[in-house]
Amino acid sequence: MTAAEKKPERVRLTSGRKELRELIQTSEAIREHKFNPFFLDIGLAVETLRKYFPHWDLLDDHCLDAETIRDLAEVLGLQKSQLRYQSSALYTNPEMLERKFRSLSIKRLGEIFLKSWHPIVEREQLTVDAVREGLAYWDQLLSYEERRKRLALRRPAQPVAADLDSLVKSGIMTREEFAKSLRGLWEELRAQTDEDGPINYWSFIRRDSYRETVQRAYYASFLLTYGYAKMLRDAGELKLMSLATPTEKTTAGLVSFPIAITKDNQPTIPANPI
Amino acid sequence: MEQAGDEKRFYSEKLKHAIHLLLFKRGKMPGAKEWELKSSIGKNYKEVLKQVDALLSELDLEVKRVEPDQSQAKQIGESSLGENTEDARYLVALRGTLTPKEARLSGWRIDNLAALTVAIAYIVTKQGKAPREEVEKLIADKLGRWKTLTLMDAFVRNGYLKEDETGSLSLGWRTTSEVHLRDLMTLLAETGS
Repeated sequence: MTAAEKKPERVRLTSGRKELRELIQTSEAIREHKFNPFFLDIGLAVETLRKYFPHWDLLDDHCLDAETIRDLAEVLGLQKSQLRYQSSALYTNPEMLERKFRSLSIKRLGEIFLKSWHPIVEREQLTVDAVREGLAYWDQLLSYEERRKRLALRRPAQPVAADLDSLVKSGIMTREEFAKSLRGLWEELRAQTDEDGPINYWSFIRRDSYRETVQRAYYASFLLTYGYAKMLRDAGELKLMSLATPTEKTTAGLVSFPIAITKDNQPTIPANPI
Repeated sequence: MEQAGDEKRFYSEKLKHAIHLLLFKRGKMPGAKEWELKSSIGKNYKEVLKQVDALLSELDLEVKRVEPDQSQAKQIGESSLGENTEDARYLVALRGTLTPKEARLSGWRIDNLAALTVAIAYIVTKQGKAPREEVEKLIADKLGRWKTLTLMDAFVRNGYLKEDETGSLSLGWRTTSEVHLRDLMTLLAETGS
């Protein structure tokens, strides 16, 4: 046999395996009730099996063939049970039923159920065994004092500042968003301080809404911590000055300086909080 | 006469015992298995059960026989006494039906019942098995997603629905014991939108 003759043979076997695997996958989907059993044309599937059967030589191919036949038999069984079911009184067209579910009110659906529902009557009661079990538990139970000692709760953790890591971890903010906002504020500060020199802290931070003011103060604190800007005290006023070349790391010798921003004084924030 | 009197007493004791076995819950499932009744009441347990059924009928209750993996429970007279499956379970159920008000008083909200109707009927139309997501989607249209998820879990927990490892739902033992599926489907088909 020449190479040219061998090639179509190989192609045929490959496509045959592919078709059989597709048949197996479809059968599986039908078994899992994803498709109607009649979605698969059994006649056509058997034709496909017949077409490739004479070419199978390897054991794996014969196994694939056998697996396909087994799956087709199962689909055939499902088709049979569907036909039986459709001829029974329980059969209702699923699409029609879905439309009905959507159009009927909740009350009407509940009433329909009540007309066909015969709930079981049962009584829960204390039995001798249950009493025995309860007594055994009681005997083993430690005193409240003992249990309290064992379950002694530790002191809750002290509140800590919400740094960037904790905000990112809790999903409030992403690092990208934070970096973008920080850069935006820095550029704004640079634009103002490059022209006029150091700017009053409050005039830079203050905005119409309290929320926005706090947000700008929060970002400004990072600008200072990470060396994008510095804070100056000038004639009793706090001033901000952007740095042309940010250090982008925590500068040594930084001093923590709390600045209170209360809601009440938001519209008229004092020029100097100190 | 004396013999008849003895027979009457004999039955009244057995009737009491049978009612205790049927009504008081001992394990996870209500009712009593056929072999339990046979060993506790004796060979004539079927006769006793027939009498229990006749007695309970005055209280709008009935004795039902549920066979393992059976699609629908049978009434006691309904050609059930001839079958010999010792794993079959006998239960006491309501002969008639509840009004919406009575159902509410026994802890069932009408919207929960509506969701159960949709779930059961949809599974029936899919020949007894349907993917959980499909059923949830259908119910969520009316009741919202969160409520649907909670209800579906409750239905599975209470035995109304059964979920397999592939996430497919089928009818649970309680549905086959309590719900007359033919009536349900007929009523749904008859009801105009």
